[in-house]
Amino acid sequence: MSETAEATESAANAANDESNDAPRTNEASADSPVISIRNLWKVFGPKSARMRLPHDEQVKGLSQTELREKTGCTAAVRDVSFDVHKSEVFVVMGLSGSGKSTLVRCLTRLIEPTAGSLDFNGQDVLSMDKDTLRELRRHRASMVFQNFGLLPHRTVLDNVAYGLEIQGVGKAERRERAAEMVTKVGLDGLGERRPGQLSGGQQQRVGLARALAVDPEVLLFDEPFSALDPLIRRDMQEEVIRLHREEGRTMVFITHDLSEALRLGDRIALMRDGEVVQLGTPEEIVANPADDYVRDFVRDVPREQVISVRRAMRKAEKTEAGKGTELAPDTLVADAIEAVARSGESARVVENGRTIGVVDDARLLSVVAGLDEDAVEGRGEDGEPKEVAAV
Amino acid sequence: MKRTRIIRGGVAAAAALALAAGLSSCGKADPYYSGSPNTVTLPIAAWAGSEANVAVAKQILEKKLGYRVKTLQMDEPVMFDALNTGRADAMMEDWRGVPKKEKKYVEELKTVVNAGELGVTGHIGWYVPTYFAKEHPEVKDWKNLPKLKKYFQTPESGDKGQMLEGSPSFSTYDAQIIKNLDLPYKTVYAGSEAAQVKEIQKRAAKKEPFLTYWWTPQWLNSKVPMTEVKLPKRTPGCDKVPSKVDCAYPYTALTKFMNRDFAENGGKAAEFLKKFHWSTEEQTKVVKWMTIDKMDTDEAAAKWVEQNPDKWKKWMPN
Amino acid sequence: MSTTTLPQPSEDKEKEKATAAAPATTEVSGARALLARPALAAFGLVLVALIVGALALDGNWPGALNWSSGIKDGLDWLSNWLTDNRATSPLFLYFLLHISNWSEGGVDYVFTFLNNLGWLGVTALATAVSWYVSGAGLKVRSLRIALLTLCTFGVFGVLGVWEYAMSTLALMVVAVAVSAVIGVLLGLIAGLSETGNRILRPVFDTMQVMPAFAYLLPLVLIFGIGSPAALVSTVIYAAPPMARLTALGLRGADPAALEASRSLGSDPWQRLWTARLPLARKEMLLGLNQTIMMALSMVVMASVIGAGGLGDKVYQALSKDNVGLALIPGSCIVLIAIWLDRVTAAAGDQLDTSPGSTRTGGDAGAIALEKLGGWLAWGVFVVFAAVGTLFGPIGERSWPIDWTVSISSPLTKGIESFTKSISDGIPVIGGTDVWASHFTSWILNPMRDAMQASPWWGVLLLVAVLAWMAGSWRAGLTGVLSLAVLGALGLWDKSMDTLSQVIVSVLCTLVVGVVIGILAARSRWVMRLIRPILDIMQTMPQFVYLVPVVALVGVGRPAAILAAAVYALPAVIRITTQGLRTVDPAAMEASRSLGSTGWQQLRQVQLPLARPSLMLACNQGVVLVLAMVVIGGLVGGGALGYDVVYGLQKSDLGVGLSAGIAIVCLGLMLDRLTQSAGTGKRGGTK
Repeated sequence: MSETAEATESAANAANDESNDAPRTNEASADSPVISIRNLWKVFGPKSARMRLPHDEQVKGLSQTELREKTGCTAAVRDVSFDVHKSEVFVVMGLSGSGKSTLVRCLTRLIEPTAGSLDFNGQDVLSMDKDTLRELRRHRASMVFQNFGLLPHRTVLDNVAYGLEIQGVGKAERRERAAEMVTKVGLDGLGERRPGQLSGGQQQRVGLARALAVDPEVLLFDEPFSALDPLIRRDMQEEVIRLHREEGRTMVFITHDLSEALRLGDRIALMRDGEVVQLGTPEEIVANPADDYVRDFVRDVPREQVISVRRAMRKAEKTEAGKGTELAPDTLVADAIEAVARSGESARVVENGRTIGVVDDARLLSVVAGLDEDAVEGRGEDGEPKEVAAV
Repeated sequence: MKRTRIIRGGVAAAAALALAAGLSSCGKADPYYSGSPNTVTLPIAAWAGSEANVAVAKQILEKKLGYRVKTLQMDEPVMFDALNTGRADAMMEDWRGVPKKEKKYVEELKTVVNAGELGVTGHIGWYVPTYFAKEHPEVKDWKNLPKLKKYFQTPESGDKGQMLEGSPSFSTYDAQIIKNLDLPYKTVYAGSEAAQVKEIQKRAAKKEPFLTYWWTPQWLNSKVPMTEVKLPKRTPGCDKVPSKVDCAYPYTALTKFMNRDFAENGGKAAEFLKKFHWSTEEQTKVVKWMTIDKMDTDEAAAKWVEQNPDKWKKWMPN
Repeated sequence: MSTTTLPQPSEDKEKEKATAAAPATTEVSGARALLARPALAAFGLVLVALIVGALALDGNWPGALNWSSGIKDGLDWLSNWLTDNRATSPLFLYFLLHISNWSEGGVDYVFTFLNNLGWLGVTALATAVSWYVSGAGLKVRSLRIALLTLCTFGVFGVLGVWEYAMSTLALMVVAVAVSAVIGVLLGLIAGLSETGNRILRPVFDTMQVMPAFAYLLPLVLIFGIGSPAALVSTVIYAAPPMARLTALGLRGADPAALEASRSLGSDPWQRLWTARLPLARKEMLLGLNQTIMMALSMVVMASVIGAGGLGDKVYQALSKDNVGLALIPGSCIVLIAIWLDRVTAAAGDQLDTSPGSTRTGGDAGAIALEKLGGWLAWGVFVVFAAVGTLFGPIGERSWPIDWTVSISSPLTKGIESFTKSISDGIPVIGGTDVWASHFTSWILNPMRDAMQASPWWGVLLLVAVLAWMAGSWRAGLTGVLSLAVLGALGLWDKSMDTLSQVIVSVLCTLVVGVVIGILAARSRWVMRLIRPILDIMQTMPQFVYLVPVVALVGVGRPAAILAAAVYALPAVIRITTQGLRTVDPAAMEASRSLGSTGWQQLRQVQLPLARPSLMLACNQGVVLVLAMVVIGGLVGGGALGYDVVYGLQKSDLGVGLSAGIAIVCLGLMLDRLTQSAGTGKRGGTK
């Protein structure tokens, strides 16, 4: 993972400017991004105004309402740029109307973007003709929908096999593969039912199996669990985490639920009014909100569950070098509290056998109380590089 | 949007293709329908007399000559179309009510031929119920109609007397006659024979007066006796121009018509139907069984055939 | 970690897209509110102008704008050309006659097939197929439907109309099949393309409102008498519901499922076959059901042009003034309708209850049994078909017993004495006959005279202003143009006569229908009592009750109005009941909790909330009453209806078709007015 590229990017997005000449990575090397978006726009409205908008310097910074009054257009996605890397779970989160669902549909051109560039494994998606695009949708990216989008007249098995049927796979083979997927998502024995006879959670498992059946490079989730009740939602999240652990498939996950984003996301892009306000790891976003909007957003998050001791530690004094419990740098503060409470003394943060810092009661409590931001900033002044939690 | 356009195009193309395939596979179509050789198709008009003719002919054709008879209900002008295309073989009773069609098919296209008279004489006229004519004998002369108008007034006719008309398919010049004779009457159309019959029965039950377009032979006449109102005598050509008619209706010899092809190649069936000829009384008898006695049509016809072998034996082909 | 759900959990993409259009719509509704007052003023002004005009000015349609002679000459020429060139023109030889011959052949084929099966074969086959499509197995429902089928066919035999019923059935099978195919194709166009929908909507309206009598004649000229013309006219009348419902189904398909299909890379054809059409299947089945009902209502009509079947029996009985005899084939048609309705409805429900619902997991035995049942039914079908076609009849071809006469005479007597006693046998208050004549003198005549005396421009203005008040200038334009066509056809006076009858008829239907509808909505008992009556009223051929209607009120306009009201009543009652029943239960509960009485609930909650349904009932009432204008012509309604019948029976294309067009124009005007009143009000309460 290229830290520099990412740093540039998050900075660029946070500031929301100057990204017009961001570098385009076209070579298909091992760590090049699977999906790479630059300056993507989606504008709804009258055609002439719609096409002009992305190049209009004046509209920057206008709220949706102001924009609509001024131009008659709605910019659902505004100048968005980011990369999605192989095997990561990339979460896009935001409130209603923030443009996240439009954004994910732009990825396979279910909604046609207005301007910008979009690469899939180095291939330019926006210039694809219909057949190539269809190939992309059939084999490389499949989607799981909020309202499931199942075909009520087909059995579960046939729903799962639907993608393969569209690809033209023979009946026996597709049914066999569909049966595997049904087992994989835990719907054994329900293959002959119709979607209408399943619970919401089960239906979404069918949706998931359908997306998995075509063995895509990327799974796209559009708020897949928001129609489910909280307990089932948690089950399904576990399911996604399990699948990701087993297969390591790249995922783009859209949600409006912050806790879901924090649970699943390796990185999170936070959207507001069509723009990416902040992009970073869950820890970065919670510990280091880019602006008041984000800060407000993450206020109620139990910080000890997200922030690691790397961010909470202070420099070790010489006397502390050999004493206390050892903790890995990415240990969560919540776990560190337990360890510290148990041993009754401060704990050491050890990386590669070297003690890099110490956490004590005071440091840990300041994280829980939300006082650590200043501390972190203060630490920045010490000249130490900002570190990013490894994933 | 583009996708739907493709689908639309596809649907249109498929439809066009199907149509083209259908056409090319068949080539030129035969304009005339030809039924199977042993089946005779006889159309029935919407009045009982017509049904009686066909029922008797059917009995004899099926029981004595071994044909299968298919009967079809249709209106008088449609019968000519049917005879023209060969969908029907012979019509047994025509009141000469559609001269336009007759001219076209019989004289111009020569696809339909006259197959002789039925033997029944039909007469159209203005009638009042006999119970009223007995009370007011002067009604028998048309000149007294203006004086009697108050008896015939109804809400439909307003301040004029009501002249009850039947189905639009009947040939009538009543509106013109009323105008040309300057009578204070107004035609009110019942719209169908069934409605007219019902209206007459209803009024007769209450012994109310009414003036109606009516004809003989008609089965209802034996139930509700009618008396004719004499219109001005016919003079030659008095009904040539429809808008100038001011005289009585003629006595019409009811006629049979046949599809030309059937008349020439119809074998025994055609010969029999050409010879079919019975009197007004005979027909009325059968119709009475069918209507007032509520006997099944086929049973009534069978009864007549059984009772009158001497009559129908004369119609048998040689 | 607690699940932190943010406020506004659901994200509405549609809203996001639609917001762009939002300001425009608010502007429009604002403008509408502003317009309401001047429109009211204009309405008053026009009314005054109308009265003044009627008294002082010449209100006849100007002669310069009367193109009737040109139109009639053209139509007469067309009629002549058709008869002259039928046997020679390539248009006929290579196109139209093929259609004609195919339909003749198709109907003949089905009839021969049924005939060869014999009564035993047909009854067994129909019972087996009905049982199978309604779910097979030993379920109560499928068995009940099998029994219904058995009874239906038994009745055909017992009443001695077997052959006629088979002939009707053969025509029905072909007509429904063709209507369904054409309906689906048209529905695809209307469902997939917005332009297609806009073009086809008025076409469907015209197909349904144009009286069949008006186009029977040209069809006879083009396709020849008998099954071809009957088939084409049935298709014209019966295909629109299939098309409309198919389009509705295609448009209403779950967008999520379609998007999912698209996201999996389906091409348009795949999407159509695997998603769009299957998703619309419920609506399509409902469309098929409607199409069957429509087709059945044409059976009697088809007899006018020699298509044969049960209609023949109805006609012949009527010409002999024997209502009981007419009721027999009439009730057979009703039975066919009920049978087909129940079977298609059961088949529709069958689509929803998947095999999995009844058999869980290990019920392999049940699955096998049901599969066996299915094969058994098809086996019976194949065996009967094979034996029937190869070896001729199985047993007797026609039914062995015949009770026709014994049933029909008491029926006739009963109906006659009943109508006689109501028509003038009621002491003091008179009887229907007396009422009808007062009705004509005091309501119908003045109304007709007033409408005919009103100046034509005044009526145009009135319609325009009414539509404007209802909130749609488009409807106003359609209405005014339709009225102008009436004038141009030279049928202004007759149209006003018909219009006066239609208005009175719709009012009567609405008053009676809404009252009965309210009763039925409030009491299950009433509902259960009237349901079968409504079924019969809707499917019984209208010709059957023409004669009793004349017996009740005599020949004339009251008879036409009564016949139309009887025909339109069931739909109005059904829609009203439905509307009142589906009123938001929360609103009803709230009203009850405030202690309102039943009457208050009805007046303050149910009726206002059911207003869209009531407007729909009004709209349907208008359409159905118009459909009866022609039938009214058969019992003395006169005016346009009489002209249409005259045109057909005298082979006068000019008179018949222009009167038919005039009826369509009246229909379009009234339909648009009532429809925009319905939608306009709904927009206002929002």
